Amino acid sequence: MAKSTDNDAMALIQALRSAYSSTPKNLKIIDLYVVFAVITALIQVIYMAFVGSFPFNSFLSGVLSCVGTAVLAVCLRIQVNKENTDFKNLAPERAFADFILCNLVLHLVIMNFLG
Amino acid sequence: MAMAKVVRVSLSLISFLLMLLSPAASIGQSDGPRSGKILVVVDDFAIRSSHSIFFNSLLDRGFNLDFKLADDPSISLQSFGNYQYDGLVIFSPSAKQIGRSLTSSGVLEFVDSGRDLILAADLHASDFIREIATECGADFDEDRNAVVIDHTSYAVSDAEGDHTLIASEDILKSVVFFGEKEIEAPVLFRGIAHTLNPANNMAVKVLSASPSAYSANPNGLISKSPGLSGSTISLVSTVQARNNARMLVSGSLDLFSNRFFKSNVQKSGSSTSHKIAGNEQFVTEISKWVFHERGHLKAVNVTHHKIGEIEEPSMYRIKDDSVYSVEIYEWSGTSWEPYVADDVQLQFYMMSPYVLKTLSTDQKGVYSTTFKVPDVYGVFQFKVEYQRLGYTSLSLSEQIPVRPFKHNEYERFLTAAYPYYGAAFSSMTGFFLFTVVYLYNK
Repeated sequence: MAKSTDNDAMALIQALRSAYSSTPKNLKIIDLYVVFAVITALIQVIYMAFVGSFPFNSFLSGVLSCVGTAVLAVCLRIQVNKENTDFKNLAPERAFADFILCNLVLHLVIMNFLG
Repeated sequence: MAMAKVVRVSLSLISFLLMLLSPAASIGQSDGPRSGKILVVVDDFAIRSSHSIFFNSLLDRGFNLDFKLADDPSISLQSFGNYQYDGLVIFSPSAKQIGRSLTSSGVLEFVDSGRDLILAADLHASDFIREIATECGADFDEDRNAVVIDHTSYAVSDAEGDHTLIASEDILKSVVFFGEKEIEAPVLFRGIAHTLNPANNMAVKVLSASPSAYSANPNGLISKSPGLSGSTISLVSTVQARNNARMLVSGSLDLFSNRFFKSNVQKSGSSTSHKIAGNEQFVTEISKWVFHERGHLKAVNVTHHKIGEIEEPSMYRIKDDSVYSVEIYEWSGTSWEPYVADDVQLQFYMMSPYVLKTLSTDQKGVYSTTFKVPDVYGVFQFKVEYQRLGYTSLSLSEQIPVRPFKHNEYERFLTAAYPYYGAAFSSMTGFFLFTVVYLYNK
């Protein structure tokens, strides 16, 4: 029984990996960026768990910068993905420009809130 | 009648001449905490001569003595609401009141105003004297005929042989009460006993009886055990009230007399015979304490400021460094000398002391210390509370508010937040690199 679930898990991972390798390159770059942002956020949360939330505004600001930029990157990925039919009429350049603008606003807010 | 008047006039002339002869000494007390005017109330003027050594020592120290009979109707402690005397010596054990209308409440008001009192009682002391003593904290034996008797600690020279003349060596050991020199000879005492309430921490037994003393009628047989005996008996006590008035209560008027001053004394059971009894030294030193010539402190010149500044700020900020200084002097009988002690403490107080520091002295009377204002804001007080046995109590308090940081007084960058700063900047650079890579990948 256990062996078969093991085999199933291995098979699942293999399938995921092969399916993922066929995604276009720009989407992979976006995915990498999202992972980087989420890891940075996690590091900050673990640090806060140890040290306490003393400058809470700085903590929120740091976490929000990572999470916010991750969210914006995910939106970009959705809009740029050619397999997504909802955004057929949206030019990928427009999506990218939105992404940049939103990130600029986000980081402006972050710098103010950082203290 | 006329004889008494002549005696009175001549005695007052003599005292007037004495006052003229010691002008320098009489100015001496006016710098000090008391004006030096003392009223001496006596039963009859013979006491003036029989106790003249004591009175002359007071005159030598610069006091003005006013002798009045207890029933003299012209006695008045106050004139238009101001007290005319700073000290009262009552050597009239059988007086029922002083003057025309001065009862025990009048004397107690005198003491309540911060003035000093020496009260000597004797066998058959009147109710008036007993009441004053009770209000001061010393309760005389209720038995009117009882005196202090001690069969192991009496003076061998006692002619009557009933062991009522006590030679006591139980003198309180204290430099502030008795000065540096120890009293070596025993002190002669003949009189009545009193007790102090042990819960009273303002009254002190200055001359105590030995454990074998008891208070009883020497002429009668004792049918029940004496009420007062042993260490509960106090022969001479002092009381310092909370307003720093000082009182001396003595169960014996003879303690102050020339006869006892000049007598030789040998305590029963001891082989040493002292040429001079310790009475004169005892009475002189304790009267110096009672009239504030020793142990009277004054604190002046309280200043506080931030380190590095001179002016006193109207408000401190938390975590400031503050310097507090005060000057404490002690009256030596002729001048204010710097007081030197190592246990004066400063409290920085708001409901409870947040900072408690011992002040360090430069031996010239200046006490100072520095400390960091605590991390709590509110209205604080710089408090110095100094109460030591035999010294006047010092109670100083300066109020000062303490404010928290202004918004621009915080540290600019908090060390605890460096990871967050790092994360924010790294996400910005990450974003920038991402855009470069995304746009320019093939």
